[in-house]
Amino acid sequence: MQKPISRAGLLIGLGLLLAAAVIGYDAATMNVPAVHAKVGPRVFPTLVSIGLAVAAIAHFWQCSRGQFHEAEGTTDWFAVGTIAAALVIHMNILKPLGFLPAGIFLFTMVAFAFGSRRLLRDVVVGIVVVGLTYFAFTRFLGLQLPPGILGWIV
Amino acid sequence: MDALVALMDGFATALSPINLLWSIVGVTLGTLIGILPGIGPALTIALLLPVTRNLDPTGAFIMFAGLYYGAMYGSSTTSILLNTPGESGSIVTALEGNRMARSGRGAAALSTAAIGSFVAGTLGTLGLTLLAPQFVKFALLFGPAEYFALMVLAFTTVTAVLGASKLRGVISLLLGLAVGLAGTDILTGQPRLVFGIPSMLRGIDIVVVAVGLFAVGEALFMASRKDLRSAEILPIKGSLFMTREEWRRSWKPWLRGTAIGFPFGCLPAGGTEIPTFLSYAVEKKLARKPEEFGHGAIEGVAGPEAANNAAVAGVLVPLLTLGLPTSATAAILLAAFEQYNLQPGPMLFSGSSTLVWGLIASLYIGNVMLLVLNLPLVGLWVRLLSIPQPLLYSGILLFSTLGVYSMSNSVFDLMVLFVVGIVGFLMRRHDFPVAPAIIGLIMGPLAEAQFRRALTISQGDPIVFLSHPLSLFLLTCSLAMIVVPIILRLVARQTPSSIR
Repeated sequence: MQKPISRAGLLIGLGLLLAAAVIGYDAATMNVPAVHAKVGPRVFPTLVSIGLAVAAIAHFWQCSRGQFHEAEGTTDWFAVGTIAAALVIHMNILKPLGFLPAGIFLFTMVAFAFGSRRLLRDVVVGIVVVGLTYFAFTRFLGLQLPPGILGWIV
Repeated sequence: MDALVALMDGFATALSPINLLWSIVGVTLGTLIGILPGIGPALTIALLLPVTRNLDPTGAFIMFAGLYYGAMYGSSTTSILLNTPGESGSIVTALEGNRMARSGRGAAALSTAAIGSFVAGTLGTLGLTLLAPQFVKFALLFGPAEYFALMVLAFTTVTAVLGASKLRGVISLLLGLAVGLAGTDILTGQPRLVFGIPSMLRGIDIVVVAVGLFAVGEALFMASRKDLRSAEILPIKGSLFMTREEWRRSWKPWLRGTAIGFPFGCLPAGGTEIPTFLSYAVEKKLARKPEEFGHGAIEGVAGPEAANNAAVAGVLVPLLTLGLPTSATAAILLAAFEQYNLQPGPMLFSGSSTLVWGLIASLYIGNVMLLVLNLPLVGLWVRLLSIPQPLLYSGILLFSTLGVYSMSNSVFDLMVLFVVGIVGFLMRRHDFPVAPAIIGLIMGPLAEAQFRRALTISQGDPIVFLSHPLSLFLLTCSLAMIVVPIILRLVARQTPSSIR
């Protein structure tokens, strides 16, 4: 019986082809001075682009023979989505709101995605960890972190 | 004997109070992250890079190396008591180690792992001490063509040996090479794959990629799999002092594990994972009671645990003498050298001999510290395993975003981190090995530079790679890595039919 061709496998193959095309296009449209023409900055990108295209075709061929490694077990897409959303929101509020609120938000959301339902504990641990980290990084390591709206406290 | 004199000087460096302190920090942190599942030496060193930028390089490398060794010690504890490997080098340890813990012999398993790690780590470091000067002499013969050929060999072995499928290894390597292209071309100043984004001109930092693949990708994967989340921690039972019988059954596997692990670490084959599998297979073959395997055979813990520590020592040989990383962690260590403007290779041994020999000497000291840290104090470390998993991954992602952001205070880096994390999740989900991507990313630009340098010297004549005997030899080896398995497969397919 013919197994249906995996959708995830096809998408990964298409992604590889797209990457090959982007790299190939970038290499082809470079303005390279004639001095560097022989072994210039184009050679390696062209090789990588060809390599990716060949690998993509080999990948499609393996998929068509049912050799694609399908994901094992059941996938908890809700947890994956929660973490992805948390990361996107985190990078957007980091500068305007500051490291402390953004960090505590990320910490709590990830714990929630991993199945923790003890919100109070997570928030408290988050505040302690994020606070100590902020203190250690700005005071002892001399790194700049965005203070944001809580800047007046710390 | 020059090596011994140099080593003595190294001990003088390593025993200075500040460097001893760095060593203690390194081995302690290494044990900690070794025990914690989900965070490994490559990720930790990557996260430490921005923080250690202004540190004295000798101290920083003593800490990093101690951390790499320590992770191998600590991970056995998790394998044995939790049946989840702390690192990939301890996957095999769980097979017999966890069985031993279930039948009340957990303490003996921990002992043979720790003492075996000590024996292998010390012998491996001795091997490093003796071999490194020889490798340096060899490396002096290398010109750009030879370096390029060596990197080609590294690319082929790392993809041919790692993971279940060669194609997936090649794809992973190509993705790493592709990311390595981005940024300003060093030789001509030509921007590549920049898409008009100013932040892309400096390229994509290896720290962002390593953290994305190892932390974000791993966290997304673990979150996606509810079935992998819960694990039972077994209490330590039995006596930490091994019986005479256990010593008798352990010492040979320790030595064999060392003999397997060290040369494998030197080869560009991805570091600690494969030698542990080999060691396990060898012990199973040689065991006097092979039927005990699968039910808690001590040899199955002693051998692989020695092999992974010896492999770490082996990894340092090509890294320090040739600048060739053979594992993901070694690739990050190479990035650390670049951060301090140091070039591993013969020049490092002549120009920064204090650093190199101080580092090697610190490994002997670190091994002693680790034995103390991991045997009598193992009960303390085990408490780490009771950190709830949600909080553990919350912490990992918090420090990952923080580490990446603090490199150059750039939200753009966080966006790249997110994208790499998604790719890492897909790779983990569909069983693509990650190490080739990391090695391709750091080695790609180096290989390209050597390739173009060689061709510039030969005025564009590609024969240069074949006319140099050493380069020809290395390229032949890489070709053999690809062709020989195919021939073997064809022969294997032919033979049964001809018998029939």
